Formats: sequence, C-alpha cells, structure tokens
Amino acid sequence: MTQASIDQSVDNRVSDLAAESTFREIDDTHRAIPAIEFRNVTIIYDGRKVLNDLSFKVMKGETKIILGGSGCGKSTTIKLVLGLIKPDAGQILVDGEDVTNYSEAQMMRVRKKIGMIFQEGALFDSLSVYENVAFKLHEQGVPEEEVENEVRRMLRFVNLEDAIEKMPSELSGGMRRRVGIARALVGDPKIVMFDEPTAGLDPPTARTICELAMKLRDLEDVSSIFVTHEMNNLDYLTSEYAVVNEAGEVVFEKEGEKLCLINSKVLMMREGKIIFSGTDETLRKAEDPYIHKFLRGH
Amino acid sequence: MNLIAGFLFELQEMSLLAGRAVTGIFRKPRYIPETIAQMDYIGVGSLTIIVLTGFFTGGVLTLQTYQTLESYGAVDQLGYLVSISLIRELGPVLTALMVTGRVVSAISAELGSMVVSEQIDAMRALGTDPIRKLVAPRILALVITLPLLTLITDVMGIVGGWAVSTFLYGLPSSMFINSVRDGITTDDLIGGVIKPLFFAFLMGTIACHKGLRTEGGTVGVGRSTTSAVVMASIVVIIADFILARALQLILGTQA
Repeated sequence: MTQASIDQSVDNRVSDLAAESTFREIDDTHRAIPAIEFRNVTIIYDGRKVLNDLSFKVMKGETKIILGGSGCGKSTTIKLVLGLIKPDAGQILVDGEDVTNYSEAQMMRVRKKIGMIFQEGALFDSLSVYENVAFKLHEQGVPEEEVENEVRRMLRFVNLEDAIEKMPSELSGGMRRRVGIARALVGDPKIVMFDEPTAGLDPPTARTICELAMKLRDLEDVSSIFVTHEMNNLDYLTSEYAVVNEAGEVVFEKEGEKLCLINSKVLMMREGKIIFSGTDETLRKAEDPYIHKFLRGH
Repeated sequence: MNLIAGFLFELQEMSLLAGRAVTGIFRKPRYIPETIAQMDYIGVGSLTIIVLTGFFTGGVLTLQTYQTLESYGAVDQLGYLVSISLIRELGPVLTALMVTGRVVSAISAELGSMVVSEQIDAMRALGTDPIRKLVAPRILALVITLPLLTLITDVMGIVGGWAVSTFLYGLPSSMFINSVRDGITTDDLIGGVIKPLFFAFLMGTIACHKGLRTEGGTVGVGRSTTSAVVMASIVVIIADFILARALQLILGTQA
C-alpha cells in the first residue's frame, strides 16, 4: 500500500467517524420528538363525545399504559393513531408528522412504522400461522427464503416456532395473541400498539404477553401504547424491567426502591376524558374516588 | 327524507367502492392468485347448480310451451322459442340469481366476519388496502365467470329442452336442433353475454359493500348477508329490464 493510499484510508476513517457522530447528534434531537402526540383530539359518534379534547404524548422508548373501564375510548385512541378512524377535531402526530388529514394511501406509508396487536389477535382465519406472520413480507414481494427466516425469528421471539404450520382455529386464545404480536413485529416497527392484549387470558399467559411488551420497551427501544383494564398488567409493566444477563438470557428484574429505571407512564381515561396522567406511584396516591375504586375494585 | 338521504349515501358509498376496486385492478400490486382462487370458487364451484338449473329450466319450458305450439301447429318452432327465452332472459337472470344465492351471500358473510373480528382493520394496519386485496379480485372474478356460467346455463337449457322434446314428446331430434340454429341471431348472443357482465359488476359491488359495512358482531354478519342477497336479487331484476330496453335501442332488435 502506498503512503498516499494509506493517507486516503485514514481520511476515510476520520470522515466515517465524523459522519457517525453527526448521526448520533441527529438521532439525539430526533429522540426529543414524541413518537405519538395527540392534540385536543375529539371524536363524536351518534352525538356522543367518545373522545373529548384528548391531549397526550408518548416519548421515544416510552410505554404509555392507558387504563380505563370498558367503553371509555381506549381502543378508539389507538385506532386513531393508525388512521383506522379519523378524528372530528384535533391533531394526531406520529414521529412529529401530522397525519390527521392523511388519505388512506398516505396512511399506508405511516402504518409501516407501527405494529398493532388486536384484542383477539385478529389473525386471518384462512391463512396458516406462517402465512399470517409473513403477510406483510409477502405483500412487499420479499423472496421466500428471507420471509421464512424472518417468520421463524419472530415466532421464536414469542416462543411459538412449533406452531408455524398450524391454522389459527387450532390455536388457544393466548397463542393467537402471541402470533398476532409476532405478525405486528415483522419489520421491527419502532411504535407498537397493544389493544387489551391480555383480556380473557389466564395469569401465566397474560404475564408472558407483558414480558414481551417489556422486552420491546427495554431491549428494542420501542415506543408503545398499552391499553388495558387489568391491574396486574400495570404492576408488571411499572415494576419490572428486562435485561440481558451474563449468560445472554433475557431476565426480568424488579425495580425495587433502587432507581426509577422503568420508562412507563400511566394515563387513565373515563368517558373519553383523561382523568389522570403520570407515573404509577402518583396514580396509587391519587385522591380521585373513581381511581381508588378502579385500583382496588371496590 | 331520511330514507332518500340514506339511499343516496349508500349509492355514493357503493360507487366509491366500485371506483376504487376498478382502479385497484389496474394498479400494482396485482392480486392474480387471489383472483384465480375466486374464479375457481365462483366459477367451477357453481357449475353443478348452474348445470342443473339450466337443464331443468329448458326442460320445463319445453314442457309448458309444447301444447300451446301444438294447438297452433307450430311445433317446429319449439327449439327457437326455448333457446330465445333462455339466451335473452332466463339464462342471464337465472344464472345471476343462482350465483347471488351462492356467491353474494358467501362474499358478504366472509367480509362481514372479517370486519367484526377486526381482520380488515388488521389488514389495513399491516399496510394492505383491503379493497385491492379482497374486493377487486372478487368483482373481477365475478365479471369473468358469470358470462361463462350464463353460456353454460344456455347450453344446458337447450339440451334440457331437446331431451324433453325428443324423449317425452317423441319429436325428431333434428327438428328441435334446426329450429334452434335457424332462430338464434348474433345479437341475441351479444345481449346474452353483455347482461351478465353488468350483473356481475353490480352483484360483486353490493356483496363487498354490504360485507365491509357490517356492524354489530355475528348478528350483524347475518343481517348484512341477508340484505346483500335481497338487494343483489332485486338489482339484477331491475337492471335486466333497463339493459333489455337499452339493448333494444342499441342493437335495434327486440332483445
């Protein structure tokens, strides 16, 4: 190698490093933009305000747990993020981009950034588990070999690789939700919506699903909205965090009294309005009688 | 007033759906395997009922008209009368109604179930337009297969008529066949193929529209299926009248 070419390669390395640090800077400013922002969103259905002047932000890497009784507008909120329904007033921003008035075609591009897990899984009945998880990739015309690798990787993430050939009708409720999670996570979306993912499941399965949400939050830097009305979900998501131990395994540790490591915030809704927004500690100390009743069940 | 507004609103929704489905057919991604699967379900799957319907309709037409023609001494016109009734009217309308019963109900129920189990929302959330993926292939498959099914009904009807005239009334086989061959014109055949094209488009649009607008859980699926079948059947019969008149004016025949 001549001296000139060595100099050239050193120069390249220097400029690569400079580029990397620039990227980091850009990335840092990018993190200040909320992943999701609602500004005074109102939605009226049959003359009733399903959502009433709703404003909140979900920051990058944060899990926003939306609590509330049935029919308070929780599911409507996450459908609005995806543009599956449109608000009557207000603005919705995804990654700083105002998507409120986007057409269906424009929304398709935004939806690629977002994974959505539906209440009952919403798997396509006529397709096998493999085809369900591969749906997005098949639509994009990805070569079959790559599709299979990705599907297996996703099914391993939800611990369901054995069910790859099964049809949705052969799966239990919990397995359907997990396949739904695998399907939503194809393409590694940085925003994930959970619509009551543990409703009607036995406690160990519900715990498994919460662990998946924690893994996404703590290890994959995913921003998410976790809609639920089950208090054990809240306990898991606000008191534990996922880490990789020395053996390379994912373990869940209790936050304890040490540090406030957990990036989860709570939003409580009632009849389309936010009645609480903050951390779980402040929620538990709240004076509101409805919150008391909701937390304790009486 | 609400009734009129409701009707106009539904008409607008259906027109938009049909428009988006038609543009979806010509744009990428094209869902050719889905369209072929639907053609198999609609076309091949309906063959048995269509063959039976055609055969027995032709047979009963012969059965009912033979005596009248005999009293006028016009039995040699039997094949012409049966084939013209089949090709111009009964073939297209009966085929459309049979397919409505079998296919419109199935499409509407399938899409309706997908709506109530959030599969349509899931599809949209995954970045796929359900109108292109589900609606366009179904309408296209209907538009391709319904005219073919109609031709099969016509042929089977003529076979049924021939069978009754030959084996039940003992007429010479050649008399029936010759009267069919002499009687039918190209305009009759054109009219007989144009009608099912329109019927198929209307039936497909109604089935998909009703299915996608399902509300209220499994009960809603039942409601939307019933209303899709009722609406498609009525629209087929009304459209038949309008098309018959339009073809008379365009082709200058009594089609």
